[in-house]
Amino acid sequence: MIVEPQRTVFVILSFEGPDVYSQAGGLGVRVKGLARSLAQFGYQTYLYFCGDPDLPGEESHEAGRLVYRRWCQWISSRHRGGVYDGEEEKIRDWNASLPQNLIDTVIGPAVESGHNVVIMGEEWHTSWSMNLISDSLYYRGLRDRVVILWNANNTFGFHRMDWAALALAATITTVSRYMKFKVWERGHNPIVIPNGIPRESVHDGDPEAVADLKAAAAADHFCFKIGRFDPDKRWLMAVSAAGYIKRHGKRVRLLLRGGREPHGGEVISHAQHQGLNVVHVSAPPEPAGLSAILRQYPEADVVNLTSYVSDPMLGVIYPACDAVLANSGHEPFGLVGLEVMAAGGLAVTGATGEDYADAYRNALVLETDDAIELVTALNLIQQRPRLAAAMRRRGRVTARAYTWEKVIEQLLLRIEFAAAQQAVTIPARAPDEPRVARRRTRKPEASVG
Amino acid sequence: MAENLVVYTVVHQPRRLKLPAQIVPAKTPPEAISDHLFDEALDRRYFEQVAANSYLPASAMFTDLTRRGWKMSIGFSDSFLVQAERWGTKVLDRFKKLCASPNVEVVNVEPYHSWLLYLDIVAFKEAMLAARSRLEELFQKPVAVTDTTEMFMSNDVYFALQQCGFDGAFMEGRDWHLGWREPTHVYQHPLQRLKLLVRHHNLSDDVGYRFSNRHWNHWPLEAGTYAGWVRETWGDLVMVGWDFETFGEHHRRDTGIFEFTRALAKELKKKKVRMMLPSEAVGELGAKRLEVPVNEYGSTWAGEGGMEFFLGNEAQQGLFRLMHHAYSKARLTGDPRLIEIAKWLLQSDNLHLIQWFGRWGPEAEVSAYFTPDEWWELGALGILREQQRVYINFIRALDEYAK
Repeated sequence: MIVEPQRTVFVILSFEGPDVYSQAGGLGVRVKGLARSLAQFGYQTYLYFCGDPDLPGEESHEAGRLVYRRWCQWISSRHRGGVYDGEEEKIRDWNASLPQNLIDTVIGPAVESGHNVVIMGEEWHTSWSMNLISDSLYYRGLRDRVVILWNANNTFGFHRMDWAALALAATITTVSRYMKFKVWERGHNPIVIPNGIPRESVHDGDPEAVADLKAAAAADHFCFKIGRFDPDKRWLMAVSAAGYIKRHGKRVRLLLRGGREPHGGEVISHAQHQGLNVVHVSAPPEPAGLSAILRQYPEADVVNLTSYVSDPMLGVIYPACDAVLANSGHEPFGLVGLEVMAAGGLAVTGATGEDYADAYRNALVLETDDAIELVTALNLIQQRPRLAAAMRRRGRVTARAYTWEKVIEQLLLRIEFAAAQQAVTIPARAPDEPRVARRRTRKPEASVG
Repeated sequence: MAENLVVYTVVHQPRRLKLPAQIVPAKTPPEAISDHLFDEALDRRYFEQVAANSYLPASAMFTDLTRRGWKMSIGFSDSFLVQAERWGTKVLDRFKKLCASPNVEVVNVEPYHSWLLYLDIVAFKEAMLAARSRLEELFQKPVAVTDTTEMFMSNDVYFALQQCGFDGAFMEGRDWHLGWREPTHVYQHPLQRLKLLVRHHNLSDDVGYRFSNRHWNHWPLEAGTYAGWVRETWGDLVMVGWDFETFGEHHRRDTGIFEFTRALAKELKKKKVRMMLPSEAVGELGAKRLEVPVNEYGSTWAGEGGMEFFLGNEAQQGLFRLMHHAYSKARLTGDPRLIEIAKWLLQSDNLHLIQWFGRWGPEAEVSAYFTPDEWWELGALGILREQQRVYINFIRALDEYAK
C-alpha cells in the first residue's frame, strides 16, 4: 500500500480533542497537532472526538481537508465537567453509534472513490470500537482497504481491554519504549511511534518578557512545574527539593500550575510543612502580569497559578526559568519536556517514557524519586552555566526532530508495515487518474520456429 | 437509559423418557413404539401439577394485566401443546384467551424443543415453518418473531430462520459473546435482514432465577427496585426472557411472585418504561441496523451461555451421540413415523436433565431440579444408564424397518 495524499484518507478516533472541553491531558494536544499536520500534508483527515456540546457537530478546517466530528454531544450536554465526565455512557454511545456512521459516511465513500483509509484509535476508550469497525468492514468486504492502528498513550484502562481481540483487529502502537514494555506485559508487542509537537512551538519567546520575568523572580533557583496534580508527576519531590534549597539558605521561586485533582491539596500542604510560603493567584493573561505578581509577593517561595496558562505565556515561562520540572515517575511520553526544549527552556525529566531526553546533553534526567537528586541537578546548572546553555541549545535541536512533520514521516513508514500485516491491498487505480481508453495493439506475430 | 421493555416467556413441558427403559418387543408397529419410550403418566402428573401452580393462575394474572396495558410475548413448544390438548383443555383455553389480547404476541418455538438444528438444519427449517403454521392456526394471529430451543442461536441457525421469513429472533446476550456490545439494542448479523432481540441475562435472571433466593443480597426484590434497574439500564430496550413456569412453579405463590408481577406493571408505568411487543421493537428499533456477527459456535440462555450446559460432561456427550444415531437410523427407514419419534428423542431436556453429572454448584442444582423426582430412585448412575438404554432400544427396534 502506498500512503500518499491522493489515495489515503485518515480517521483519528479519540475521546480527547481540540476543544477546551475535550482536553484533559496530553492526548487532546496530540490529536489536535496530528490531525492538523496530516491535513496540511494534504491528507483528507477526519477527527472524531467527544467535543464541546455547545459547538457544531461537524466543523471543517484547513480548506476542508480536516473535518472535526464531535461525538456524544447529547451526553456531554448533561456532563459538563469535561471529556471524561459521563465516561461510561460516552463509551457505550461511541460503540453503538460511531462505527456505522464512520463506515457509511467516510470509509464506504472513500473506498468507492479508490482511496484507502487509515484509522487511528487512541486510548482504551476507543479499543472496543476498533473491533466493531473491523468486524463491520470484514462483512462488507472492505477490511482489506483499511489499515487500523490503535495507540496506547497511557496505561489507563489497560485492565478493562480485550487485548486479544484488539490485536486481531488492529496494529497496536504506543508512544515510547517505556510504554512498549508496559503493553508487552499484556502479551502484545506494540510499534513505537513517538508523539510530536507543532513546528510553531519551536520558537523564541519575547526576549524582553523573558528577561523581565527572570528578573522579577530574583531567585537563585527559578523553577516551574505544570501538569495534573497526580502523584505520578512527583509534585512532592519538587516541593521537597524547593524546601531543601530554602533551608540551605538559597532563594527559590517555584511556579506551579496543576489541575483540580485532590492531590493538589496534599502538594500545597506539603509545601507549607516544608517551610515554604505559598500564594495562590489566577494566571494573568500577559507575562508582564506574572512578573508583577512575583514582585508583589517577594516572600512567596511557591506561586500556585489557579487558572489556565495560555500557550504564549508558557512560551515565556519555559525559557525564563532555570529549569522546568517535568520530573514524572511514570510518563508515557512526556510532552511537556519536549515543549520546554522547543521553547528554549531547560527540562528536568524523569527516566521513563521520555525517549527524547539525553542526560546532560539536552536535559537533566532524574533516575530516582530522591529530592536530593533534583537539588543536585539544580545546583549543577547554577554552577555550570555553559553546560546549562549547551543543554538548552541541544534541546532545541531535539525538539525540531520531533515536529509533526518528522514524526508523520515515521508514521507513514510504519503504516506500510501495518498495511502489509493486515493484508491491505492497493487500489487498482489512483482515484483521480483519468480512465483513458487504451487502443488495443495487435500482438506481434509469433515467430515460427 | 432504556425506555422500552420487551417481556418474553416460553411455555414448555418435556416429553419425558420412560425409565427404567423398556425393551421394544419385536414386530412392534411404528405407531406403537412411542409407548415403550415415553412416560405419558409422568408427563400428565407434572402437567397437572404445573397447570395448578402456574399455567392457570399466571395466565389469569396476565390476562388481567394485559387489559391494563401490560405487554408480553409467549412462545409455545409443540411438546407443551400436545400435552395441553390431551390433559389441559382448560389451560389451552386460558392461553388462547390471553393470546387474543392485542397486547400479547405469539412467538414461534422449535416444536420438539430439540437439538434437531444440530443434526439436520433443513429439517429444522421445515419444523420451524410447521410450528409457525400450527401456532397461527391455533391462536389466529400472525407469528413474525421466533425463538429456537433454549434460545439457541448460531450463524447457521440465524440464516435458517432468515430463510424461513421471520422478521426477528431472540438471542442470549452474554458478555463473552457480545464483547463490547450492549444487550440493549436490536441487532442484525452484518448486512442481513433478520433482527435479533438480545436477552438481558442479568435482569432476566434476577426474576427468573434469583427472585426467591433468600441468600441473594437483593432479596426480597421489590417491583420498584426492579423497574428502576430496567429504567437505568443504558440502551434502547431491555429484553427479558423467562420460562412461563417462573410464575407459580419455579417460584411458588408464597414467594410473592404474583404480587411482584402485578406491582411491576404499575412501577414500570410510574418510571415511564414503555412495554413493547417483540415485533414492535423489531420495527421501531431495528432501523438503526446495529450489527453483531452471530457466533459460529452458538449461544443459549442456559448455564454460562454456551453449549457446555448440554454437552459439558461425558454422560451428555454419550447421549448426544446416541441421539445422532437414533435420528440417522430413523432416516434410513424412510418412515416418517419413526423419524418423528427420533425428533422427539432429540429433545434438549434429556441432556439438560443430566447436566448435574460430575458437577456441583448452582447450575447443577437447576439441572437436578428439573430431573423428575421419580427417577432418583434409580440412583444417579442408574438414571444415566437407563436413559441411554431407551435410545439403544429404539435404535435396535429399527433393525427390521431399516433393512
